[in-house]
Amino acid sequence: MIKRTIYFFNWVLLIGSTVIVCMILGVILFDIFSKGMPSLTWNFISKLPTNGMTKGGILPAIIGTTLLTFITTIFAVPFGVACAVYLNEYARPSMLTNIIRASIRNLAGIPSIIYGLFGLALFVQAFRLGTSSLSAGLTLGLLSLPYIITTTEEALKRLPNSMREATLALGVTQFETIKDVVLPTALPGILTGVILTLSRAAGETAPILFTGVAFYINGVTTSINQEFMALPYHLYMLSTQHQSIEEVRPLAYGTAVVLILLVFMLNIIAFYIRFKQRARD
Amino acid sequence: MKYLFLISLVGLFSCSSTDKTIKLKGSDTEVNLAVQLAESFHDINPTVFVSVSGGGSGLGIASLFNGTGDMANSSRSINDAEVMLFEKKGLTIDSFIFAQDAIAFVVAESLPIDSISTTDLTEILRGSQTNWSFLTKKKLPINIYGRQSNSGTHDFIKKKLGIDFSPHAKEMNGNAQILEAIKTDNSGIGYVGAGYVIHGGSKGIKVLTIYTEKNKQAVSPLDATMIAAGKYFFQRPLFQYYKTGSYQKNKPFLDFEKSVKGQKIIQSAGYYPVK
Amino acid sequence: MGTTRRENTDWILKQLFKTTGLVTIALLGGIFFMLLYNSFAFFSNINPIDFFTGVQWNPENVNGKYSIFPLLISTGLVSLGSMLIAVPLGIFTAAFLSELAPPKLQAILKPAIEMLAAIPSVAIGFLGIVLVGPGIAKIFGIQNGLNALNGSILLSVMALPTIITISEDAINAVPKSYREASLALGANKWATLFKVVIPAATPGLIAAVMLGLGRALGETMTVLMATGNAAALPRGFLDSVRTITATIAIEMGEVPYQTTHYFALFAIAAILFLITLSINLLGEYFANGLRKFHA
Repeated sequence: MIKRTIYFFNWVLLIGSTVIVCMILGVILFDIFSKGMPSLTWNFISKLPTNGMTKGGILPAIIGTTLLTFITTIFAVPFGVACAVYLNEYARPSMLTNIIRASIRNLAGIPSIIYGLFGLALFVQAFRLGTSSLSAGLTLGLLSLPYIITTTEEALKRLPNSMREATLALGVTQFETIKDVVLPTALPGILTGVILTLSRAAGETAPILFTGVAFYINGVTTSINQEFMALPYHLYMLSTQHQSIEEVRPLAYGTAVVLILLVFMLNIIAFYIRFKQRARD
Repeated sequence: MKYLFLISLVGLFSCSSTDKTIKLKGSDTEVNLAVQLAESFHDINPTVFVSVSGGGSGLGIASLFNGTGDMANSSRSINDAEVMLFEKKGLTIDSFIFAQDAIAFVVAESLPIDSISTTDLTEILRGSQTNWSFLTKKKLPINIYGRQSNSGTHDFIKKKLGIDFSPHAKEMNGNAQILEAIKTDNSGIGYVGAGYVIHGGSKGIKVLTIYTEKNKQAVSPLDATMIAAGKYFFQRPLFQYYKTGSYQKNKPFLDFEKSVKGQKIIQSAGYYPVK
Repeated sequence: MGTTRRENTDWILKQLFKTTGLVTIALLGGIFFMLLYNSFAFFSNINPIDFFTGVQWNPENVNGKYSIFPLLISTGLVSLGSMLIAVPLGIFTAAFLSELAPPKLQAILKPAIEMLAAIPSVAIGFLGIVLVGPGIAKIFGIQNGLNALNGSILLSVMALPTIITISEDAINAVPKSYREASLALGANKWATLFKVVIPAATPGLIAAVMLGLGRALGETMTVLMATGNAAALPRGFLDSVRTITATIAIEMGEVPYQTTHYFALFAIAAILFLITLSINLLGEYFANGLRKFHA
């Protein structure tokens, strides 16, 4: 009898925990989507904010986040892929590669607000880029680097060595092997990692706080030397800084829906690529 | 692949136009007004962008000093330490008063109190009185809802009463959060710009009238004639600071604030335009 | 001749790729140097003893009270609370996933956990204001739910995916032979799980907890939005607190560059950096231990 009670208790413990975790996700999604979907109209995503940001849309924030993600990509992807290629294709295991790998792991663990401070000290002050989307995009780029390197390296590791040896035996240089064989074959894996990293960067708020995000801009601007609005900061601002929080709550929910949909969309694309690749293998 | 990146990089740089954005930073009290002004300004002047950020008066003035802002909204006058910083850097700044603000002390509607003296307020805010029983018949612990130390409102009250705030005062992110908290907290007291009360609605809250030892007549921050006469205790001008050299850049926006349309916006937002 | 040119290109590109590797070292070094340099500037103005032992963080005060102590206690309190919630939930869920769940259920649950990980921190913080805060206020009969407990609940949500994923790997890594041996000796499924499998996975589970804790300690937006940000020493989970990350986020924008207050924010960031670094290194140490153990 006691045995059966313990049995049951253990069973409840494991299932219960899993159910709670699923419920957390359910509650988050249900609350945001049920209260946010009514705000999600075409005008909401295609118009400027009006009436002191109590009406109208969030177009500048959508454009701002897109621009920011674009700058992050241009900076972090070539750099991160190059570093992964060096680690996996060129370098033999040595003291140097150990140090590089340790640096990358530690960079991944640094709190995002510290990247914000570094971006402020380096890009805004030392490089005199001012508070701008360029400064913020580069800061997010630094934050993304370790993830892009790690995921790219994993993608490269999955390729069989025979593939490289076959081309090298043909008298082709190593770079040509990398460019024509290794990278194209590893592309789906690399892309998956890159997209997941970018979806993370797009939702970050702390690193852009001091590097160029603005409360409000009275128009749509894509200049990289100007301040910008961004979706995550817009949500923060609408829920804590705005003068009539209750009045703009539907807008805040709407912004949360747009932000989460954007992030999920990127995630789904990444999963799709991964799924296709697994099916092919 | 690489070329694609290069091309897009060049594309990005080329579409970044010349410096046509006026960066307006500072006081949270003024930020919503600034947003509304910027919004209407765009209709008249579509080629000049205005980016507006809040964060507090200190932030605005620091942004002038740090070169990250063009114009600082400040709900207090610039202090000696800040003047020294500008002097050290060899910068001169000009100021412009564009409106008057009155700070309202708000409590829940159910609290049996309508007016309060500045002495009692001092006792409450510094934390030496912690229960409403010292003023009313109700025995309720006093909860103070205030602003973060970077807020001009916080600074203004601190200086005006000559106190340090009780360390148990909650530091809210904005005026709006304070109003929201007071609505649900029947023993709370908080301070917000009168503009918020007028504009954001006063459902469930009560604005206290204030009297001093010298002047026993209690004055409401919502009384326009008293404000015009400068009779309310917690009343202050709202400043905009800018570096002397950048006047030309900021001129279109400053001109707009002085225009009839600009003054109308200030008035409808609950502030008192300066004549 | 063509070959030499191609070989030269190859060599140049190799060096180029190598440079990117060196830059990552420089990046970590740069962040560390920046924090250290500005901290030194701070400690030339402020006595380190006051910094660690004082009880007040109030840079606006005329004398400038800079003590990290209340911020450290706040950060510790919120993170501790989050671990109390997330560790049991995370490990039991991981155990369920790897030991009990049929493959079809796994195929649903794993993406769900990845979805949870993908939700931006600012959205979680938003729910702290609109959902968890009012809930706490109602349950405990207090006026305002923006406090340490709120922050702990939200941070546990953020740490859960990390803890579940790594714990599951750790439990999966326990060799099948352990389970078979235990079952062959007559132990039932539960005894095998709790007395054999989980103890064998302990180093990996500790790694999971450490990495989850690292995430919780460094999180900014959720705590900034949900904990009330009072700088006084907290007396319990129902007090509002202000963590190191929130302090940096609130005050960095307002300070004039190169002043004591500015340097002070870098100094507390340096402390945070050292704490998260040691936690991550500790986590890595246990993760490596696991690998060696099973190798």
